[in-house]
This record gives sequence, C-alpha cells and structure tokens, in this order.
Amino acid sequence: MAAKVVTVQRPARPRAMDTLGPLAILRGLFVTSSHFFRNLFGFIRGKPTIFTVQYPEELQQLAPAFRGMPVLVQMANGKERCVACGLCEWACPVDCITIYPAETEDEIERYPAVFDIDMSRCMFCGLCEEACPEEAIVMSQRVAIATTDWRGSVWHKSDLLMPATELQTRLTHIRRGYERTGAAATPVARGKA
Amino acid sequence: MAKITVDGTTIEVPDNSMLLPVLLDRGLQVPHYCYHPKLSIDGSCRMCLVKVEGLPKLTISCNTPVREGMVVDTQGPEVTKARQGVLELLLVNHPLDCPICDQAGECYLQDYAFEYGKRAARTQEPRRKLLKRVDVGPRVVLDQERCILCRRCVRFCKEITETRELGVFNLGDQSVVDIFPGEPLDNDYSINTADICPVGALLSKDFHHKMRVWFLDETESVCPGCSNGCNVKVGAARGSVYRLLPRRNDEVNDTWMCDQGRLGYRFVNEHRVRTPRVRRGTTPPENASWDEALQQTTTQLSELSRRDGAGALAAVVSPHLTNEELFSLGQLLAGGLRIQQRDVAVISGKSDDFLIKADKAANARGASDLGLAATAGAADLAAIRAAIEAGTIRGLFVTGTDLWEVWGEAAARILGRLEFLVVVASNEHPLLDLAHVVLPGLTFAEKNGTFTNHAGRVQRIHRALDPGTQPSDGEIFLQIGRRLGMEITPGLFDPRQIFGAITRRVPRYAALGWDDLGRQGQPTADA
Repeated sequence: MAAKVVTVQRPARPRAMDTLGPLAILRGLFVTSSHFFRNLFGFIRGKPTIFTVQYPEELQQLAPAFRGMPVLVQMANGKERCVACGLCEWACPVDCITIYPAETEDEIERYPAVFDIDMSRCMFCGLCEEACPEEAIVMSQRVAIATTDWRGSVWHKSDLLMPATELQTRLTHIRRGYERTGAAATPVARGKA
Repeated sequence: MAKITVDGTTIEVPDNSMLLPVLLDRGLQVPHYCYHPKLSIDGSCRMCLVKVEGLPKLTISCNTPVREGMVVDTQGPEVTKARQGVLELLLVNHPLDCPICDQAGECYLQDYAFEYGKRAARTQEPRRKLLKRVDVGPRVVLDQERCILCRRCVRFCKEITETRELGVFNLGDQSVVDIFPGEPLDNDYSINTADICPVGALLSKDFHHKMRVWFLDETESVCPGCSNGCNVKVGAARGSVYRLLPRRNDEVNDTWMCDQGRLGYRFVNEHRVRTPRVRRGTTPPENASWDEALQQTTTQLSELSRRDGAGALAAVVSPHLTNEELFSLGQLLAGGLRIQQRDVAVISGKSDDFLIKADKAANARGASDLGLAATAGAADLAAIRAAIEAGTIRGLFVTGTDLWEVWGEAAARILGRLEFLVVVASNEHPLLDLAHVVLPGLTFAEKNGTFTNHAGRVQRIHRALDPGTQPSDGEIFLQIGRRLGMEITPGLFDPRQIFGAITRRVPRYAALGWDDLGRQGQPTADA
C-alpha cells in the first residue's frame, strides 16, 4: 500500500508576535500582573477572587463521597464497633489490613485484639467499608498519612479509632448507598417505568 | 442393584440403601443438615426434600429407601420452593451472628441461605432469646440461639461415645440443646460435636475467636498424637497451625478424632528450636552454626568409636520421624556411624477401644517395620540404659525427646554420665540442656513423608507450613552421612525417592508405591 502524502499548510511568514520577542514578553507580563493585582486587591478587601486554600490552617470542605484513610468507628462507650469478622481483611485488594480477633466478656463477645492498617499499602479504594457488616470501618476525610519513619505507616487500632459523631456525614452517606444497591429490606424502585 | 431415575438420568444403586447417600455419592448437591453418614437417620431438618413420582407429597431423601424404577426429582421448582420454605422456618429465629460466629465461611446455613434464602426476613416479631456462650464442657461452648435442632450432636453422644451428655430439652419453640445439670460434655471425643454441628451452635473453645476459616490453608495430613493415625486436615495461616480437623477415612477413623490429638498441635507453633547448639565447656549448649554442629557430631562420634569401639555408641530413635527419615537414619546408623545398639523410645499412655491407642507416637510401627526397634536378643532401651549406667556406652545419638518421659526421673542422671550426647529435636526440652550438640528438627506439619499406623497402614503427610531454609531431620541424617564419607546420591532429601528405596528393600512395603498411597493410605503386605 502506497503511503498517503499529506500536504500541510504553513503560514508563509512568521507573525510579528512571534518574531518580536520583547513584544511577546510584555504581553505575557501584562497577563501575569493583571492577575496579581486583581488578587492582591481582592486579598486586601478580604474577598479573595481566586481559589486558594491556606492548608493546613484552612481545610477544604470535602464531599461525603470523598474517600480518605479508613478509620474505625468508636462507639459512645469508647470501644470500637468492629467485631473482627475479617471481611475487610478478605476484601482488601492490597492486603493492608491485619486483624487478630479475641474474646471479651461483653455482650458482643468478639473484638479485634490487633487491628493494623498499613497506610503505605492502602489505596483508598473503600472496599473494606463496603464489605463491613457492622459499619465499623469507614473512609474518613483524613488524608495526612505522611510519616518520617516507615514503621509509622502502620496504623494500629488506637490510632485508627474515631468517634462516631465525627463520622456522621460518611455514615449517612453509606447508608444511602445500601438503598442504591438494593440491599435494603424494601426494594427501592429505580428511575421511571 | 436397583435402577432409579434421578433428574432424567438412570443410575444403578445398591439395594437397601437410602436415597440421600446415593445422591450425594453421585455428586448431586442435595442440601441437608441432620443427615450424617456415620450417625443414625433423624429426619428432623426436612431440608433434603425431593419429589418422588407416585408419592403424594415431597419426601425427605435421607429416610426414603431406594426402590426399583423410582423416579426422583431433586431440582424442580416444587422442590426448590419447599426447600425455601423449610429454610425460612429454620432462619426465623436464627440470630444474625455471622460476623462473630466461628462457623462463618463453612456454615451450611450460610451456604443454603445463599442458594435458597430470601434477602430479608418476612417476620416482624423480635427473635427468640436463648442462652449464648453456654459452658457445656471444658473444650466445647454452646450457643443455643444459633442451634437448628438437627440433633447430630445428641446422636453422636448417644451412638458414638455412648456417654449421652447432650439432649434436647423442652417442647416446641422452646426446644434447646443442653447438658444435664452437673454433667458436662467431657468425653475424649467431645470436640467432634463442634465438627458435625452444621451451624455455629457448638464450637471448639480452642479455636474460638482465633482465626477466620477462610484464611486457613487446609493440608491433608495424619494426626501425630498416637499410633492410630487418624486422617486430619491441618488448618494453617500466617505461619502457624490453628487447628486440626478430622478427615474421613473409613479404614482408620471414620470421620472422628479424639480431643487430645486435636489439641496436640501446639508444639508446632511454640517453643521451637531453630538454630543448632554446641556445648562449649560448661552447660548449657550455645547457639552455633550448622557447619560447626554437624562437624562436632561427626568428629566426636567417630573419635569415641575409634577409641572405645563401636560398642561405646548407641542410638535412640524417635517414633515421630517419617518412614523415609527412619530409613535414612537406619542407613546412617548401619553405614556411617556403625551403631549396633539402637531402640525406639515410645511414650505409653491412655488408650481406649475406639481411636485412642497407647503408643503416643504416629510412627512407632514404621520404626519397627524398618528395623530400628531392637529385635529379640539385641540391646533394647533398658539394656542401653544399663550400659550407660555401667559406663560402657559413652556416646548417644538421640532423635526426639520422648526418651526423657520413658526413662522418667532417672533420665537426667543417666544422660549426665554420657561423654557425648547428640539430640535432634524440634522443641525446647530439658533434655537439650544435657546435650553436647543440639540439631533442630522439623515437626509433622513441615514435612512430606509417610507414617505407618498401628495396623500397618501407610499414609501420606503433607507439608502445611514452610520451614524456610531449615533442613528436615532426613536432610540432617544425609549431611552427617556425607561428612562420614557414606556414598549418598547427591541432592536434597527426597521422600519420594527414599520411599522407592524402602519398597525395594523392605519386603512388607514391596507392593506399595508413593503415588498409589492416595488420600487414604494403603495397608502393608501383612496388615
């Protein structure tokens, strides 16, 4: 098969904007400084015109669907809701969860004696949350997992516990998810017709 | 033989058998809870309903005898609907305990609920509240809420152990399985009730809340607890053994095993010897390299043999070694070390007329079959003991630590008289402090090989845990042999190859083949 020859139309001569370097520089400087001054006046007036979050003093408002690091829900009595059933451990595609179950004298007789998540392996997929039958592990809005020591990337049970009150947004969000997937007791009609 | 038609296929089945076992043998999936091949028929769960042409209603297949020309439907819509109904009734009061229930993952109720169940309950009433975590015995815990009253455990205690500890109490929806007041479920086979429980009502305390079953790798093996050689599955996860479960073998243990054997796996996980030790000057021996330990063994033993003659050496053989290791050890003793005086040290214990045998080692029979036990007229364990006390035996090559229990309190005094003591052991033991060289061995869970049970049945064991670079006992014997200048084929210790050598050398094993042993083992010629 013969190759097809394409003829490209090029401008016969370069434009003035491309050949006269100083003009191009001045044009660029005008764009930059107009933004600078607009932002500066906006900042002085206390009404910033641009979207810059002053992290870490300011934190962004995240959507309930945002998946940060997985945490364990802490009940009002200070104990974890987790019963160490091991489903998140099984669901985890990167095997970052390690649980050793144990027995207690409480009414719920089982609890995790060890619950470790290796945050350096966690990929924030949220399958653990989806697998959990107890709403005990949820994806929080925490994202700061940086550490100065590799051992620090393994989060233990005490580090992972977070009071249920702080996780209310996410818990409400995942409960809405049950209805969407049809897992609720009463089937939910989807769409029209 | 009778001809019956099942789901459109005509099959030949033995006369006088019930329908359900026949169907299960053909690989058909007929759900059932109360039927167990080794127990009497109860017919209480109503789950194995099938449609038989000519009968007015659906019938339970476990209690329907086969009949010539019978036409059976196990799959049809009528049958499925009936099973769904039965399952719904069984689940009416079943608690949603799956996340905290040890049975989850191997639970018949979960399996059938997945197949036949509805996603949500239709009942609005609160579920029945019964006792949870009832301490029915020292090794078993009962959860009455989870029980579906299939009465397998009750029949087991009545028919197999004949101890009758468990019973069904009260009537109607108040019925519960329980023990009689002050009569705990404390027989030697009590944990079998947890095995046969199709749900999580009876559970082994040892395994309670230890590990999810889906994380366990199950390896077929043989129980090392006594010479009965019960077939087991070794459940291992994260480098540890978590439980032993009996495996069906009608020639050996049916589907049962004793509690002592089942709980006797802990030595695999605990107090292991991992590095060789050599005594330098005073007691106890210190960690050393493999090279140093093996070198010490060979030089000291040959030195003693050259100085005082072969009569100054003796060997005590462990009945926990596999046949292949015993065979290699036999060659090492006869060839490289030239040790004539040798015997097997077997701990003797409790026995009964069912599964528990007095010899508390898996391969005592194998050791005598392979000629490592003292024959009549030769120096036996008592003679070796006397010779050590008299000072004629100066060096002792010991495999295993059972000798300590066999000789009892005098063991330390007797062994202290030795000039040179080599011990090949897998676990920490006071005997090791007296040794001059300690060589770490492996346990049954880390080896491939065969055991011969008390009746002469040769059965395979498979490696459940990876020992890493640690050599097996057989490898140690080969390496000692090589250092002593024996002619040994190059390469690692290969159980298959050595089993071949056993079948050629030992007449009793001549008809056996490594690949023919299968999952159930094969009897030796005279067994």
